[in-house]
Amino acid sequence: MSVLRIGHINIRVLDMDAAMNHYVNVNGMVKTHEDAAGNMYLKCWDEWDKYSVILSQSDTAGMNHIAYKVSSDAALDDYKKSIAEYGIDVVEEDAGVLECVGRSLRFNLPSGHEMRLYAEKEFMGTDVGSTNPDPWPDGLKGAGVHWLDHALLMCELNPEEAINKVAEATKFMIDVLGFYLVEQVMVGPDGDIQAATWLSCSNTPHDIAFVGGPVMGFHHCAFFLDSWSDVLKAADVMSKNRVKIDVTPQRHGITRGYTIYFFDPSGNRNETFAGLGYLAQPDRPVTTWTEDELGAGIFYHTRELNEAFTSVYT
Amino acid sequence: MFFCREDQHLLAGMAAMGKRGIPSGCHGGGCGVCKVRILKGEIDTLVMSRKYVSKTERLNGVVLACRTFPRSDIRLEVIGKMSKNVLKPVAKKKYGFV
Ligand code: FES
Ligand SMILES: [Fe+2]
Repeated sequence: MSVLRIGHINIRVLDMDAAMNHYVNVNGMVKTHEDAAGNMYLKCWDEWDKYSVILSQSDTAGMNHIAYKVSSDAALDDYKKSIAEYGIDVVEEDAGVLECVGRSLRFNLPSGHEMRLYAEKEFMGTDVGSTNPDPWPDGLKGAGVHWLDHALLMCELNPEEAINKVAEATKFMIDVLGFYLVEQVMVGPDGDIQAATWLSCSNTPHDIAFVGGPVMGFHHCAFFLDSWSDVLKAADVMSKNRVKIDVTPQRHGITRGYTIYFFDPSGNRNETFAGLGYLAQPDRPVTTWTEDELGAGIFYHTRELNEAFTSVYT
Repeated sequence: MFFCREDQHLLAGMAAMGKRGIPSGCHGGGCGVCKVRILKGEIDTLVMSRKYVSKTERLNGVVLACRTFPRSDIRLEVIGKMSKNVLKPVAKKKYGFV
């Protein structure tokens, strides 16, 4: 049994029309479904399953849940057992509770974030198909993002009260869900406090990340682009559309990704993330960033953590 | 003091004048850092996160600056901080991120 990849993310938005305009015309996703409650489902052109983003109208911004796709239906039974044995309440939901998805598991990470696991989602195919495909489809809008790549969740970190939800969530992902640690930030006088982690269940430098903050929350979800020039063009698209950019094109020291941080119209941070960085492997030595070089780890060129990184999230 | 066009929210007006003062974050009404109290003047607002501005606060003139458009001269005080814990003053981070 294994976790394959991030499946989708359910984001709360304050204004659905503005949100749809952003995810469709700026990010370049397509609406593939709408449920009876008015939730909107979208996919990127290079994804083959029905959706990777669910937008839900709300009076607050943030994330409702994050979902990962597992290798088989039987794996769900195994995960259900191991999650419960770890001491975490887990609920099995019938097929269709998540729209267009088979049965699923619902539980909260030790950090409090709600997670779902599922094995089946309605298949749609990519926009270029699977037979003699062109490298990209015509008619892409905005940044034309390829796929939902990863998410970063803010976890409560308060070493003086001995609270470290980054370490707890990380341990759970490794021990129970079979992820492996790729990079980490170690802080504190003895450099023994795990303040941020990047974990993989595949061969990319991260499929999920956790960073310590004053309160838990949703830091960002990232969409994949091919190259540095795609990132530059995405930034042009954002300025053209008056999107609030948090961090202009730059490289992350951690994961080596080419990034832009920007906000959707409800203040949820998005990222365009390009480059494969390196081939992540379970036996690759874990990269560790120390507190004094933390800024360069996050933003390799400025070598400074901007104040918004740890204060502005939903 | 800064000039703000009627079609600009207060944060955009402040930034366009090269001024600082109100913490600036997501510009979407979602993160809460730009919380201010309007002391004088008329405003229009867009929808903003309930998590950061309760109904009672809203009735008492509290708004998120990135969702607020001036309709007259405005006087305001800054409530929000670049820290999720508004009770704690922003100090040098002891543990990297916190
Ligand atoms: S800047 Fe985030 S709510 Fe105004
Ligand atoms: Fe990221």
